[in-house]
Amino acid sequence: MGHSMRALTSLIPNLRRDLVFPTGGALVLFGLLVSGGLTYSALVGGSADKLITAMLIDAVMVVGLQIYIGNTGVLSFGHIGFGAIAGYAFAVFAIDPLQKSTVIFDAPWGLNEVQYSPLASGLIAVIVTVIVAIVVGLGLARSGAQSGAVAATVITLALLFVTHAVAVNWYELTGGDRAGLSFAVGATLQSRWPIYLTLALSLILARVFTRSRSGRLAQAAREDNLAARAMGIDPKVQQMIALLASVMVVAVAASLRVYNLGNITPRFFFFDYTLVTLVMLIVGGRNSVTGAMLGVVVMTAGRELTRRVAGDGYELFGLGLDGAPLDWLFREGLSDIFLGLAMLGFMIFRPRGLLNDWELDQWLYRRFAPTSGPGGDGDGTRVPAEAADATLTGSVQPMALLEATGLTVNFGGFRALDNASITVNQGEVVGLIGPNGAGKTTLVNVITGMVDHSSGRFRLTDNGNSVDLTSAPSYVIARTGLVRTFQNLRLFSDLTVEENVEAARLMALAHLRSDGRHAGGGAMSRLERMPSIDTLLRETELEAFRHRRAAELDYGNSRRLELARAAATGPRFILLDEPTSGMSDAESLTMVERVRRVADLIRAGVLVIDHDLAFITGICDRIYCLDQGAIIADGDPAEIQANEMVQAAYLGSAG
Amino acid sequence: MARFVQSLLDGLGQGSIYALLALGVAVIFGVMHLLNFAHGELITVSGYVAYWGFLQGFSWTILVPLIVATAVITSVLIEQVAFRWVRGASDFTLLLTSFGVHFVVEALFLMYVSASVKSFDRPGWITDTIAIGPVTIETVDLLVIAATAITLGLTVLILQRTMFGLALRAAAEDFDAARLMGVRSDRVIRGAFALAGLLAGVAAVFWLMRAGQTTPGAGLTPMLKGVLAALIGGLGSLRGAVIGGFALGIAEVLLRQWLPGAVEGLTDGFVFVLIALLFIFRPQGLITVSHAERV
Amino acid sequence: MLEVDGLTTRYGSINALRNASLDVRAGEIVGLIGPNGAGKTTLINSIAGLLTPAAGRVAFGGTDVTGWAPDRMLRAGVALVPEHRRLFTDLTVVENLRIGGVTRPAGERERLLNEMVELFPVLKEKWTTSAGYLSGGEAQQLAIARALMTDPELLMMDEPSLGLAPILVDVVFDLIARLSADGKTLLVVEQNATRMLQVADRAYVLRSGEVVATGTGNELLGREDLFDTFVGGGPGPGGVGGVGDIDGIGGVGGVGSAH
Repeated sequence: MGHSMRALTSLIPNLRRDLVFPTGGALVLFGLLVSGGLTYSALVGGSADKLITAMLIDAVMVVGLQIYIGNTGVLSFGHIGFGAIAGYAFAVFAIDPLQKSTVIFDAPWGLNEVQYSPLASGLIAVIVTVIVAIVVGLGLARSGAQSGAVAATVITLALLFVTHAVAVNWYELTGGDRAGLSFAVGATLQSRWPIYLTLALSLILARVFTRSRSGRLAQAAREDNLAARAMGIDPKVQQMIALLASVMVVAVAASLRVYNLGNITPRFFFFDYTLVTLVMLIVGGRNSVTGAMLGVVVMTAGRELTRRVAGDGYELFGLGLDGAPLDWLFREGLSDIFLGLAMLGFMIFRPRGLLNDWELDQWLYRRFAPTSGPGGDGDGTRVPAEAADATLTGSVQPMALLEATGLTVNFGGFRALDNASITVNQGEVVGLIGPNGAGKTTLVNVITGMVDHSSGRFRLTDNGNSVDLTSAPSYVIARTGLVRTFQNLRLFSDLTVEENVEAARLMALAHLRSDGRHAGGGAMSRLERMPSIDTLLRETELEAFRHRRAAELDYGNSRRLELARAAATGPRFILLDEPTSGMSDAESLTMVERVRRVADLIRAGVLVIDHDLAFITGICDRIYCLDQGAIIADGDPAEIQANEMVQAAYLGSAG
Repeated sequence: MARFVQSLLDGLGQGSIYALLALGVAVIFGVMHLLNFAHGELITVSGYVAYWGFLQGFSWTILVPLIVATAVITSVLIEQVAFRWVRGASDFTLLLTSFGVHFVVEALFLMYVSASVKSFDRPGWITDTIAIGPVTIETVDLLVIAATAITLGLTVLILQRTMFGLALRAAAEDFDAARLMGVRSDRVIRGAFALAGLLAGVAAVFWLMRAGQTTPGAGLTPMLKGVLAALIGGLGSLRGAVIGGFALGIAEVLLRQWLPGAVEGLTDGFVFVLIALLFIFRPQGLITVSHAERV
Repeated sequence: MLEVDGLTTRYGSINALRNASLDVRAGEIVGLIGPNGAGKTTLINSIAGLLTPAAGRVAFGGTDVTGWAPDRMLRAGVALVPEHRRLFTDLTVVENLRIGGVTRPAGERERLLNEMVELFPVLKEKWTTSAGYLSGGEAQQLAIARALMTDPELLMMDEPSLGLAPILVDVVFDLIARLSADGKTLLVVEQNATRMLQVADRAYVLRSGEVVATGTGNELLGREDLFDTFVGGGPGPGGVGGVGDIDGIGGVGGVGSAH
């Protein structure tokens, strides 16, 4: 039972917060959209039906976009291209052969002869699109897609244009530019129920995905790709999962759109629809499903209003003032300009949309879910305290060892690191000092896989299991049990304090569990040693800021959050890069205590880099001193302080 | 062989226009980190001005400077109206802003001119050809290549020899350091847009001569070609943008020739696939401009 | 000439500089020393306009220049050789120098260019080489020459000796002395405190974003507690106590440590 529970909590950290409330919230959103639409229809009359149907389908499409763009931060122009693929696949399979024989009588593979039910055709559309998405996704991953990456955006743009070019030119299958493919009269979508069902399900998918492990890890990578990798997250995997989930929804939405309109031509799924859906997404707030739905409503209303104003002008308001001074405005094209200006206006004045990342269900959760004190909150990521305590009394013998030997790094002609060797034992706090430019951060970057080195080796031994990590990618190093913090603070700034720590924990739970199944031993003991997130937040005095966005924290709190986040991965070793830089002396002092306590708690070895000798001597068992890339001294704090070479390195020689 | 030379020349003619557009895209990307999806609108606006001029009975001798001037003014205007407000914003915001500008300009013409095609007379000599041995060349191709060579030469002179060019290159590499030397950001950015406008203006002249018409959405294709060419070359590299433009032009012409008739219409599709592949295997483009990430 | 009064600068939520004050008089060499992360670069960047201070005032030649953009500060007569030099590596040596003279009329620019040739003969040999291919020493000389091309009244330098071989460190400090002899006013951030204090007329010691000591170069050189001020504590694991003592010292001039 414990195992299946843990399996679930490694996917969904907190059942109520991350499954029950999001599902409920999605249904509330669904209810609001549908009831709003029905009310409007009832008020305006039958003419509004088409508008509302189109809006609900757009809503599904925008949910699809949100799953990818919102969670990964990669701007995709290609999702409507996926829509085109799905739309054509759906049309080709669902339209009856007689209808097809007039346009695509010579379709390849005898496709002009087939006909499946709309449901089956929709499924085929999803499968075909997902297969294409896998290929595109591999390409995106290869191109180093990450939040805001221009190259990734251009690949998605190329996808949009490729699908369009194919749709226009492969007329044997698509009917080409002019004719397109049409359903027989009366064979189109006659009921809204498929739309309702799809919308409800896709909203639930989007909300639960956002709160699930994959969603959280993708968001972590969105906020800071480098920091995410340093915690063991492989952003490529998370982005692929988000892409596939998103494309599935897009494919269904596109099928519905075609089924509802009764025909498809290449321009249905091209630039204009890309703009429409992207504006809907960003007006409400791309990082929020609630916001995306708000954007759908606002933009649908705005477009309808501008379209009607353009058509009927003053008459719409019952004024009947033809030739009046606003004629220059009330004319065809107004709704297009409205779209473009909405995009510009929001980008300039409110780039994060109306709601930013506010979500209805999370707001409800915080308001109405009873909190029974720290930890009593069904926090599934917690490991029983006894388990943690039990291992604390275990063997005193160092179980893990970090060894780097002969590391050399050249930047151009500059030797940043010169044959440097260090070792750290588990449970030990080791300092690394040296003046500006001595190579301290370079050393950390090398052993965390962020900078290539010219020569030297680096390995981590755990429970007699020795892993050579020379040249391993950073997320593998992190999973092996070595995490770091950053000199210039790299938090997941849009996520809350709790979400920052949880992202780290979710990652660790996932890979430790799979390691545990294969290797047992070390991984399981690490799993059991993990303090709960509540404990970590308490030890770092961040409980009060639990739901605060990381970006809103002051400096000291940010530093402690970085520590908590690193500790949450349950590492064998933590590397702290200048944990006190920018702190006052008093703050540094409390940081000393904090680092010691947390290191004890997780029983990790610590390598701490600092220029501040007081801090270092206060905390360390041993100290290495670097100067001009080479280790010039090592020893206990007293030896280091008395060492003349160290003094010269710091103050400069008189020359 | 003759056929190959022929295609090469065709490709150079096509590539010249792409090179000019791509260079403009690269110049703007250099100073603002903005991948300008609105770059094609310079051709749209120029197209309508050419159409207007044509209605006035202007000859191409007058239309040419008119088109170039329009592109320059439009470029600077768009910067003042839209892009200056998002300076320094995230790439996400910048990309969508230029996307928005693209649509606003398109919608304006839709609203105030019409959605229909507006045609004007192409110069009479546009279809003339010259035969050199077995190779037949369109006069306009030669003219494009020559005009592009001159424009690129001038641009190189501006970039290498004038203080503005120096400031532009310095700002493209390190904006803050350039400001520390006294370079005014307003001026260098406005200048970059003017230069990009000039380059697009020359491209527009030939684009419009060949097309003989314009529509509200006319800017889409040239924008795409310019942006893609700049990316092929490696964003941020001016030399790369020019190389990328020519590479794109030649690739298009060769593909169109070698693809079997049935899929000839898919030339663009194939080109996009090739470009996507290039990005997948060389995300940094042909010419590498590396700026190491600071950890 | 330059008066900085109560300057506070934040990076996001980090108070990188707290209430720092200093002044530089015409013709002086003033040093800014202190350990890594003490706020020296933040201070000098806040003066140059690369960072906008949250509080405090900067006055230059009697004019309030707080929050001025870098190009405006430069036109007012304040130049900075920034941290990591930030040369334009795609540009040649001479182009880098020309950019330095962008605010000068063409004739004067050429005159300054000739002066730089005299001052830095090594640059003439590399005239049309890309700045990216210079050695560390050459690059540092180019960075300084580029700033001198702006013909500043006050030249600020951030860590001019960083990453240089000892013999080149000598070259840099000789240059500082020479520029001063030519009548330039200099404000220099330097990690190599000993060398800096040897050439400086006066110096300020920064620690944890605050000015903790000031005096003439010789006064500060004579202070035995300088090392402790730098690294923040007495010897041995007990050194943490020393930090507490320093923490109690508020004003300029008094530097405490555990002894």
